[in-house]
Amino acid sequence: MSKVDVAVPVTTVPVSPRRTRSLALPAVATAVVVLAAVPFYLDRFWLTLGLFAFAAAVAAIGLGLLLGQAGQLSLGHAFFVAVGAYGYTYLAGTSRTVGVSHQGGLGLPPLIALVLAVLLAGLAGLLFSPVAARLRGIYLGIASLALVFAGQHILANAPLVTGGYNGRTVPPLTIGGFGFDDGAPGTQLLVLGVPFHREERLWYLGLAVTALAYLYHRNLVRGRPGIALRAVRDSELMAGMMGVPVTRYKGYAFLVSSMYAGLGGVLLALAFGRIVPVTFDYAMSIEFLVMVVLGGLGSAAGAIVGAFFVASLPRLLDRYADVLPGLAEPGGDGVSPAVAARFGYAIALILLLLIEPGGAAGLGRRVANRFRRNR
Amino acid sequence: MTQFLQLLAGGVSLGAVYALLALGFVVVFKASDVVNFGHPALLMIGAYTIARLGLSQVAFPLAVLGGVLLAALTGLVVQRFLVAPIASTSVVTVSIMTIGVDILAQTEITRRIGVDILSIADPWGDRVVRLGAVDVPQARVAGLVSSVVLIGLFLAWFKLSRWGVAMRAVADDAPTAALMGVPRKVISALAWTLAGGLAAVAGVFITAFPTPGLQPATASVALAAFPAAIIGGLDSIGGAIVGGLVVGLAESLAEGYEERLSFLGQGFHSVMPYAVMVLVLLVRPTGLFGTRELHRV
Amino acid sequence: MSALEVDGITVRFAGVTALDGVSFTVAPRAIHAVIGPNGAGKSTLFNVLSGAYRPARGSVRFRDVDLTHRAPYEITALGVARTFQNIALSGAATVEENLVLGRHHLTRAGFTGTALRLPHVRREERRHRARVREIADFLGLTEVLHAPAGRLPYGDQKRVEVARALCVEPELLLLDEPAAGMNAHESALMAHLIRDIRDALGIPILLVEHDMGLVMGIADRITVLDFGVRIADGTPDEVRRDPAVQRAYLGTEGES
Repeated sequence: MSKVDVAVPVTTVPVSPRRTRSLALPAVATAVVVLAAVPFYLDRFWLTLGLFAFAAAVAAIGLGLLLGQAGQLSLGHAFFVAVGAYGYTYLAGTSRTVGVSHQGGLGLPPLIALVLAVLLAGLAGLLFSPVAARLRGIYLGIASLALVFAGQHILANAPLVTGGYNGRTVPPLTIGGFGFDDGAPGTQLLVLGVPFHREERLWYLGLAVTALAYLYHRNLVRGRPGIALRAVRDSELMAGMMGVPVTRYKGYAFLVSSMYAGLGGVLLALAFGRIVPVTFDYAMSIEFLVMVVLGGLGSAAGAIVGAFFVASLPRLLDRYADVLPGLAEPGGDGVSPAVAARFGYAIALILLLLIEPGGAAGLGRRVANRFRRNR
Repeated sequence: MTQFLQLLAGGVSLGAVYALLALGFVVVFKASDVVNFGHPALLMIGAYTIARLGLSQVAFPLAVLGGVLLAALTGLVVQRFLVAPIASTSVVTVSIMTIGVDILAQTEITRRIGVDILSIADPWGDRVVRLGAVDVPQARVAGLVSSVVLIGLFLAWFKLSRWGVAMRAVADDAPTAALMGVPRKVISALAWTLAGGLAAVAGVFITAFPTPGLQPATASVALAAFPAAIIGGLDSIGGAIVGGLVVGLAESLAEGYEERLSFLGQGFHSVMPYAVMVLVLLVRPTGLFGTRELHRV
Repeated sequence: MSALEVDGITVRFAGVTALDGVSFTVAPRAIHAVIGPNGAGKSTLFNVLSGAYRPARGSVRFRDVDLTHRAPYEITALGVARTFQNIALSGAATVEENLVLGRHHLTRAGFTGTALRLPHVRREERRHRARVREIADFLGLTEVLHAPAGRLPYGDQKRVEVARALCVEPELLLLDEPAAGMNAHESALMAHLIRDIRDALGIPILLVEHDMGLVMGIADRITVLDFGVRIADGTPDEVRRDPAVQRAYLGTEGES
């Protein structure tokens, strides 16, 4: 502002209150209240479903930031989720020998392990940024394949960290003496008459982390960094000539996105309770991409909706396999629930891109517009 | 020395097959500006058809013809009904669409294969050819010969025929291509059809000896076409061929010398294509022969 | 004394010489036009000035700072702002957001501060949005500040481009065909605007333009390019009388 300042007489312009975008905030607040009530009404199946969905949502918001804001495609997201999951498990776990496999661990306090695991994922993102920051959207998509394959290779060759193919138990999270597990044997935590087990406790953790992840994203994309990232997405050359250091910003976006993935990975590990290396493969990366695109690029709320859909679909189909036509019981003939779920979201993805490339968020906006016009 | 020559021969023949795959991938990118993540699915559709026809006692050449036709047709259908309607949106959007196609096709084929390993019923079996001191599986020799012939035919066609010239023009300068009287849509459809056919042929040699046969994991072998194309440069036909050879050689050598590379961990050869790709990208972000994108504002 | 010195710039693409040893200087507070037929190398010149192309030879100096090997964002930080011939706005974003982008190098809010909405970030945002509104007002864009830029009529988008460049608080303004595609009336308004900007800000303006009427009316000095070579340089009157210019440019388009 110390620069040339004379185009028009400078008057202090009264600052009008920032226009909040449509009804987003009340809608989000309502969603949070409803989700907070869930443990009092639904059983363990639904809570478990939610834990995986929250974990997926946090990681998906990160991929949404990368793809929707910066326009950079990554198929390596599962790698950073793995770094978060195994980082936490190794840092918080203890060294011990299970059967013939020796598992290492640093035995750090779980909360510190959680924070370090997220930073570790960020560090991994930073190490890849000489590639990630220099490539354009679609090139990065293919280059990032290297991450999933390298990830699988490393996990397969690091039984000390992973516990080998049979996997390894994830130490429960404790914060200030409060454990996100079933509690000590013989004790029970009752809240309003409802016993709080591992699932109930983790549900609130997942909800809180997802809400914070959402807010972080929302503020980020409305401010200076978001505006710069979208300029990079729309035209790198234009962004550069408007003063944005393009390479650096693509690197930042990749870094933040990998930390989101790491945080999602910690939640996922806690939800699983036991993790195996094959979980974090190419197919998982693809699932994150599907979540983000189904939800609508550039929308964090959309990414959360997409994550709930993709993460829940196989479990829902599995639960209702006996009442749904054409689905097979495990081991029986017909289409298995897992296969049906993959068909389901692949078809949803294709149809959505053909009909409404804006994803679920775009559909929502369209409906809202029609609603407004009719009033 | 013998081992080295052996690995070299294996690498070149594997690389030629990768080149075939990468070629189709690059041709699609040049003609329609789409990164086709469904390319491995085209290979799987072709290979699965060939294996199924073989099981029904159809003669091998006819089975291959059937697989090539079905994969080519799939390519055409995907282009015509899924890619063309949204061709005006961004490269990323259309490319993500092809991921949907890939999930759909691969889920179905994986479901059909189940836990089996399907033999492709090729005439070469496990016989080897002795070249000097080096033993090379017949299937690999056949793969090399077929790839060289097909790539040669493609290059001749690309350089000489009206369609080939138009296809080159589309990639460089769409308006000029339109002036030549060849609509971009037709070029794009042709490219996808071609890519499907080439992928099916590659599928034959990726599933033939020395690999055990067609199984769901074959698709992840087919993924190596991506690093091959990127190494050569996504928009370079010659680059696809070089990239394929580089990937084939790197994989073959890493596998052969695994013991000496033990510090890299077991099974490193399957990561090798990606490791080479990252190294190349660090030096040249557009691949070895890719054109540096000239900015237009 | 000069604000901008372009000295012997040569650019080659795959064996084609787009610019061949082009030199000229822009005086402080001057409106300086670069004209020439299609393919003369005008856009290439702009892309060299703003850092998109590296010249094979020659140098660009702005206030005695060498721009030749700097990245686009560094050149912007030195106070060089530009508009684009084929409008380069974020079409889905509002006009306001497009303008705020121009403030990038003047603001500091980082990822963490923005995400946490720290007080200094909010203060900075408030201050700069106020300045953006002033500039929008100066260009008559207040009404459309919250409209998506891509929905505006062509002429308005052109003005948004100029406004965004002004949001950079430039000390040198590069205008790439500001009147391209405009009718006579709009073009006259643009000429006024360019002069007003120079008078208000006191900065040099370099423009590339096809519209001869606009150029002859407002330029203090004109450089003429043809096939990448400078064929004339002088006041509008000198250039108009130059036989080489008449052959290469005016002769083909008729004097306007």
